[in-house]
Amino acid sequence: MERKNFIRSLMIGAISTPVIIEACKKSSVTDGTSSGSGTAGTTTSTNGTCTVAPTETEGPFPTKAPASYVRSDITDGRSGYKLTAKITIGNLNNNCAGLANAIVDIWHCDAEGNYSEYGGSGMQSINYQSVHFLRGRQITDANGLVTFTSIFPGWYSGRATHIHVHVYNAAGTSLNVTQIAFPEGTGTSLALVNGYNKGMTGYTYNNADNVFSDDKTGVEIATVTGTLVAGFELTFKLNVKA
Amino acid sequence: MSRKVITLCYRKVIDTTNANAWDKFVHEDSFAEFKMQAQFYNEEQRFTTFAEMLLHVPEAEKLHFLVSAAITGYLRQLNGIIPDILDNLGRRFLTFENFKFEIINSDINDIEKHKIAINFFSKPLIWHDTISNQLLVSQFKETNEEEAFTNLFQIQPFVSIHAIKNID
Repeated sequence: MERKNFIRSLMIGAISTPVIIEACKKSSVTDGTSSGSGTAGTTTSTNGTCTVAPTETEGPFPTKAPASYVRSDITDGRSGYKLTAKITIGNLNNNCAGLANAIVDIWHCDAEGNYSEYGGSGMQSINYQSVHFLRGRQITDANGLVTFTSIFPGWYSGRATHIHVHVYNAAGTSLNVTQIAFPEGTGTSLALVNGYNKGMTGYTYNNADNVFSDDKTGVEIATVTGTLVAGFELTFKLNVKA
Repeated sequence: MSRKVITLCYRKVIDTTNANAWDKFVHEDSFAEFKMQAQFYNEEQRFTTFAEMLLHVPEAEKLHFLVSAAITGYLRQLNGIIPDILDNLGRRFLTFENFKFEIINSDINDIEKHKIAINFFSKPLIWHDTISNQLLVSQFKETNEEEAFTNLFQIQPFVSIHAIKNID
């Protein structure tokens, strides 16, 4: 046993000695060149996956593309009575004068009362061409105005007809999240559209709506004019602290 | 063997380590949109990470969908071709119309923590045979043809068979 161990120790010595010499050489070479060159790469290894390398002409070449929200016409092929929404953003810190360069997002449901959205989990996928219907983003002009072309929203159980609005400053910081209500009663756009195919049975009016019922003065209700044939025009002033 | 119609899913994961231009645009723009949209669920900026938002505000789940609008313009630039996945000739061959965008992780204060995935779902393919470690497939068509052009490819990491249906 002792002899074996002795031989083994010799073998380890025989193998390890050149390694030590190598190590010395290396360190003596690298001395004085500690600055190095290049920077640490970020390319991760895909070596060993055993697949062929790309062998085709490069392209298509990507260009910077804004979010698909950025457009004035948000209809995306949804059918319904035309609605032009003119929303003016005012600045409470400047006597409610028009706020330029604010980012305004709006979204609302379609004639059947459905939003464009899908669940975050599960297997559901969606066609990329028309995924964000009835959602849009515009930047206010010098007068604080944005204009969207859309359809008159439908309704769904528990809520009065409404349009969601989210206002950001030019840097993307949220200034206000709110909803726009519609005027009700004989001759109003709401009465003319009459809930599309659903009718108005089971409809929740503003005074019973959990968002609008506390609005006793009607500050959240837009002005809406027009007819079924010509379409409707909605105007709304929203004041934010900017 | 009986013929099967399959759809493939390629889950393309993108974070700060991705170097090519398309990936970088998608990464940066989805982060900017995340910071904007997250404010709807994160008033007063109580939370910084996507995980915290999901934990405390379950509706923040919608951010996957809401942020996806930042990248659909880039999906259009792909002209319906799934990137990265090559057949055995070294060509991209999978076509898609459907996708699903995921925020894997993010932090409104740190783009380094922003990690996303785009799931590309291929148009239907007929799986004719398996040759060695490769699948022999062709584009699914409603009409039966005598001869079909085929692609041979290997299932690789982040590619899976998403759906399957026997047709014979």
